[in-house]
Amino acid sequence: MHDLRTAGATPPFPAAPPPPTAGDPAPDFELVANGTATRLSSLRGSPVVLVLHNPEWDPARREQIDAFNRLLASLPAAAEQRLITVGAAHPWLELEFDTSRVALPVIRDDDGSIAQAYGVHDTPAVFVIDERGIVRWTHMGRTPPREGDIIAALTSFAARDEPRSSSWNRREFIATVLGVAASLTISPRLAVAERIAAASTAPGAARAVTLNVNGRQLRLTLEPRVSLLDALREYAGLTGTKKGCDHGQCGACTVHVDGRRTLSCLTFAMMHEGQQITTIEGLAASAGTSGNTLHPMQQAFIKHDGFQCGYCTPGQIMSASAMIHEPWGAADSDVREAMSGNICRCGAYPGIVAAIQEVRANAADGEHGQ
Amino acid sequence: MYPFQFESAASEQDAIALLGANPDARFLAGGTTLVDLMKHDVERPARVVDINQLSLTTVEEIDGGGLRIGAMVRNSDLANHPLVRERYPVLSQALLAGASPQLRNMATTGGNLLQRARCQYFRDVANACNKREPGSGCSALHGINRIHAVLGTSEQCIATHPSDMAVALAALDAIVRVRGAGGERTIPLVDFHLMPHDRPDRETRLEHGELIVSVDVPPLPFAKRSLYIKVRDRASYAFTLASAAVALDVRDGVIRAARIALGGVATKPWRVPDAESALENTSADGAAFGRAAELALSGAVAREHNAFKIELAKRTLIRALTRAAAIA
Ligand SMILES: Cc1cc2nc3c(=O)[nH]c(=O)nc-3n(C[C@H](O)[C@H](O)[C@H](O)COP(=O)(O)OP(=O)(O)OC[C@H]3O[C@@H](n4cnc5c(N)ncnc54)[C@H](O)[C@@H]3O)c2cc1C
Ligand code: SF4
Ligand code: FES
Ligand code: FES
Repeated sequence: MHDLRTAGATPPFPAAPPPPTAGDPAPDFELVANGTATRLSSLRGSPVVLVLHNPEWDPARREQIDAFNRLLASLPAAAEQRLITVGAAHPWLELEFDTSRVALPVIRDDDGSIAQAYGVHDTPAVFVIDERGIVRWTHMGRTPPREGDIIAALTSFAARDEPRSSSWNRREFIATVLGVAASLTISPRLAVAERIAAASTAPGAARAVTLNVNGRQLRLTLEPRVSLLDALREYAGLTGTKKGCDHGQCGACTVHVDGRRTLSCLTFAMMHEGQQITTIEGLAASAGTSGNTLHPMQQAFIKHDGFQCGYCTPGQIMSASAMIHEPWGAADSDVREAMSGNICRCGAYPGIVAAIQEVRANAADGEHGQ
Repeated sequence: MYPFQFESAASEQDAIALLGANPDARFLAGGTTLVDLMKHDVERPARVVDINQLSLTTVEEIDGGGLRIGAMVRNSDLANHPLVRERYPVLSQALLAGASPQLRNMATTGGNLLQRARCQYFRDVANACNKREPGSGCSALHGINRIHAVLGTSEQCIATHPSDMAVALAALDAIVRVRGAGGERTIPLVDFHLMPHDRPDRETRLEHGELIVSVDVPPLPFAKRSLYIKVRDRASYAFTLASAAVALDVRDGVIRAARIALGGVATKPWRVPDAESALENTSADGAAFGRAAELALSGAVAREHNAFKIELAKRTLIRALTRAAAIA
């Protein structure tokens, strides 16, 4: 991941143009393919804020959007502000700043041609384009722009001593950007922009959520769309629970919710306030083992080589430690069926079955012995 | 995933009102269908109404031997319920043949009925699909259609209904109880799901804003002699290629009554009344079962990759009938 311009490397063929700077005309581009030729130039008369970001930029990952939050925080706008961004990964973004939210319809740039036209490589970039299609302000790179920089750029719209039609105050600026978002809805693939414009308050805003994880109360700020799995891994820092498929097909994300084995990838964190969530990090303590002693199932997995690479193992162990309390038959084939929701690419299945059978046998002995 | 507004319903009325107010809203039960499809952008609700606080979580006895199953009863709890195991083994077996233990701990009775197609083109928004985007075309018709249906299809859609539970419930003449702003109504399960015809996007008779409150299973004494057989690509944790739910009333080697429904081969849980009546008052033997299987699949239409399902479904049904007749 590097910026070709600053790294001084030879640009790949064909040579990318340098990014436009203040005063340059904004390179034109088609906002959406698919038959409807909406071009940036057709939006003349409205200022446009163009944000380019990396395809792997994931709004679920807080630290990645921090720079943008700070950038957006310096925009003179309230919750109803609308921006246009260009990116590849997500058709719709919503970012948080201060107490308000910004909704951003995202134009896909799958072939990278927009980024190319703007000379942007592997780095976030922001262009403020005025109503005549002239770039007024740019920012590139991973460090957020200084507070006030962007405000200065925006207020320059208002400050100019030009005819009324092309001078802007903040209010008008916001209103017009909103208008731009709405005008994008003429293209069917951007119908989503219509929904954004229609929503009076941004849906899906983050709120405080209290989760009881491994006996501790965790207070997190989460959007509704954050899965329990992402809440545990990305927000609570509990990375023992693994993400394999993210679609309920592998079992790597298995945790206990009120003692029942559950796939944390197919459930929203918000649904589990007030429930007891146990992850692999808290399994030993949940079984009453103290200090550094592992849960009997963890010990049995080690003893019987119930893993190779270990990726599926937290899910296997969480699944196994719940399974032994469910009504299953005694045979190895019953264990295999009971554990069929946990896939192991390394094929450690024989060891897994042996480990579970040993724990079950020991538990039964314990009961009989009492 | 598209952002959405999250609401938690405190009561049935609350849930119905919250949903009805927004045409783009969805109930959220176990989430194992909805969350999955939201991640694929196939479902894009503007509002999600969590119904996990509702007390529709009991299995109660009704009318001399039947059961009322709350819409929020989890698939694992229903499968292991003593009265279900005793009275309707076919239902317990169908549930246990579906998904995985973790998914069954989450999945609910109502959500299971409303789970959506596993057609790979439906699940990928890059492809044309009449179910997802009416009028865009059906990518499966001339695409890879090995998992698709041979019964009840149309030129607009050939996706199977993937539920195992619903196949058992179809055989058991279950009744779906739903509640909307205007009150409660009942829909027989066999009428609940719709065939695609020219509107594959319309999957059930449920109206927007209606909440499934329970599924009632009427008494059927001979359902003690019922079972579910499911054939799939691997031993467990896979959707059905062909399955059969059967219940037989056999006395002195003669079949008095039969209930048969097929899964994995049709666009909805597929009850086969012709095959049932053909079995009545015949001796419970291989010849009769073979005739029933022929009848059950008589209208089947194969596509390029799924012709094997016709023979597979016949053999699955014959095996299911043979085993059911052998239950003492
Ligand atoms: C990997 C995987 C494998 C699977 N394998 C199988 C299988 O082999 N066999 C099988 O049968 N199934 C299988 N399933 C599907 C699973 O059974 C369903 O996803 C589940 O039953 C849906 O129930 P839910 O409560 O999670 O529904 P949700 O996802 O919560 O809801 C599904 C739909 O029903 C609606 N809804 C839910 N409850 C109500 C209600 N009370 N009233 C009105 N609307 C309601 C929701 O709005 C939503 O549209 C599998 C799923 C996965 C992910
Ligand atoms: S079979 Fe149905 S679900 Fe699959 S692509 Fe065709 S229309 Fe869509
Ligand atoms: S990550 Fe949840 S089942 Fe694969
Ligand atoms: S140990 Fe490698 S996937 Fe199971």
